[in-house]
Amino acid sequence: MDELRKGFHHELDEVRTDLVRLAAAVIEAIPRATAVLLNGDLDGANALIRHDDEIDSLSIELEERCYQLLALQAPVAGDLRQLVAIVKMVADIERSADLTVNICKAARKIYGHELDPRMRGLISRMSEQAQQLFSAALESFEENDAAKAAAIDDMDSFLDGLQREFVRTIFESHADTRIDLQVAIQMAMVARFYERIGDHAVNIGERVQYVVTGWLPEHKGAARFRSGNDTGEFPVVQPPQG
Amino acid sequence: MKVFLALLALSGWALAVVFRVMATREQKRRMLIELAPVHNEHTPLLPVDAILDSLPLGVVVVDVNGQEQFRNSVARDASGSRHEAVLIDAVIERLSRLAVAGSAVTEQMELVGPPLRVLVVSAVPSTSTGAVITVEDITVRWRLDQVRTDFVANVSHELKTPVGAISVLAETLEGETEDELVKTLVRRMVLESHRMASTIDDLLELSRIELGGEMDVSPVDINDVVRDAIERSQPLASKRRVTVQSTPASGDTTILGDRFQVLSAVGNLVDNAIKYSEDNAEVKVLVSASDTHVVIEVIDHGVGIPVASIDRIFERFYRVDRARSRDTGGTGLGLSIVRHVVTNHGGEVNVRSREGEGSTFSLTLPRQPGVTSTTMVINDERADHNG
Repeated sequence: MDELRKGFHHELDEVRTDLVRLAAAVIEAIPRATAVLLNGDLDGANALIRHDDEIDSLSIELEERCYQLLALQAPVAGDLRQLVAIVKMVADIERSADLTVNICKAARKIYGHELDPRMRGLISRMSEQAQQLFSAALESFEENDAAKAAAIDDMDSFLDGLQREFVRTIFESHADTRIDLQVAIQMAMVARFYERIGDHAVNIGERVQYVVTGWLPEHKGAARFRSGNDTGEFPVVQPPQG
Repeated sequence: MKVFLALLALSGWALAVVFRVMATREQKRRMLIELAPVHNEHTPLLPVDAILDSLPLGVVVVDVNGQEQFRNSVARDASGSRHEAVLIDAVIERLSRLAVAGSAVTEQMELVGPPLRVLVVSAVPSTSTGAVITVEDITVRWRLDQVRTDFVANVSHELKTPVGAISVLAETLEGETEDELVKTLVRRMVLESHRMASTIDDLLELSRIELGGEMDVSPVDINDVVRDAIERSQPLASKRRVTVQSTPASGDTTILGDRFQVLSAVGNLVDNAIKYSEDNAEVKVLVSASDTHVVIEVIDHGVGIPVASIDRIFERFYRVDRARSRDTGGTGLGLSIVRHVVTNHGGEVNVRSREGEGSTFSLTLPRQPGVTSTTMVINDERADHNG
């Protein structure tokens, strides 16, 4: 049987493609921002900061397109979940792009200061991990793979561990007077930026799970709150049909 | 009568020549017609897709509405990771829209990866279809260009710096009478001249090893070579308070090779490990052997190599950190020598490194020279940390 809503699904596919392209731009921006930070590349920093305007503009366009489709096509079930999830994912991707810009701005602030090799190594590892999280989020969305999306949360704990190790290294370097206070503060913030990028990737993964199964991790805490169950047990939430 | 017969024969010969020339022209014309790719219901179609698949560049054809009609295998496989494929597709789509509208456009894309890739995407309007887009991977050309540019800068830095320093110090010395200052200036001149001499020594050694043909091949015991290399580096190790520990392989570690060259390669790796380690650190040299190969691993826990530099460290005069190079005292040729020694022996050199955590260099030398092809393998341990 011919598909009834061919035009709408074609538009939905276009929206999905645009979201994938937005996410790909952020995956590319993460190692760029790291290279800017490690090499003290001021031109590179300015280029990435300028590029963020384009990402902002694309995000707004994509969000508006989603609202138009919601209003004009009145999607239901899986299609509705998909559009609602995309609106939320756009915000996560756009915010992650902002965080790469923040890394560039930190690079400008510490320009001329040397970072010791251990700190540089940890920055590289945080960057790689954040990029891998975002890549996994992109692939899980493209493939509608709820299992891959669920694994992003576990991958994020590795990034969180790296961030804690990095903060310890900053304290040690500052105590040994290898870096001054301003650099130490900027570095601690940079670690937080990578960690937040990872959190946004986890959010995207959760939205993918929602699109595929209808389940939201928020149901966990909310259901606990509603049932008055404070045992920390995971309440069973039935996914909606459709 | 004779004259008439002669004229007849001559005209006959002339006619034959004219006919032969005409026949040759006709033959040529027929060949051209046969060679021309004329399609009709009787002639088989050329396998255009197969021809385009064999091109070393990506080809995408779109119709007048910008809809993709064809994509050859290189264009399908041009993408490295998933996000790179998405970004390449976005550029192809954007440029194809411009080409369909009538403008020929070219754009260079740099994908940081890692590994870094440089692509040139060109879109041209086509009269028979909408537009043709080509994707060319110019990473190797781009890298070579960078190596060439950096090489000139690095050579002039390494060779001119000591000469310039000696010249300035000598000029200062000329007008100086204070004994203590004179001693300081002379000391620095000696240091700079030693630096110059070691650069020249390394250059000569490198050119000797590069020749390869002059290899003095004989049985070489790798356990012995490692012991000698460590002994030679002892003064440097003591100066930096670094301990060098070796674990020789049990059993036979003999290869057929040039002892001088292998010693030079191992010595360079051990020296580097010491130079880039922190005080009181430990450097390990492990030897292991199989039936066909002997492997030497030099492991340090020093500064490590940045991701951006790891595939360039074997270039002549390449420096990860030029500011630091004067402290470590190297010439920038050590790893080039290692690479050439490995080339001459048909072996493999492998690097694993992480900034701030240290590096491991592995030399794999075949028992018989030339058993394996020479390769340079670089890993930066990213794959080990995927959470």
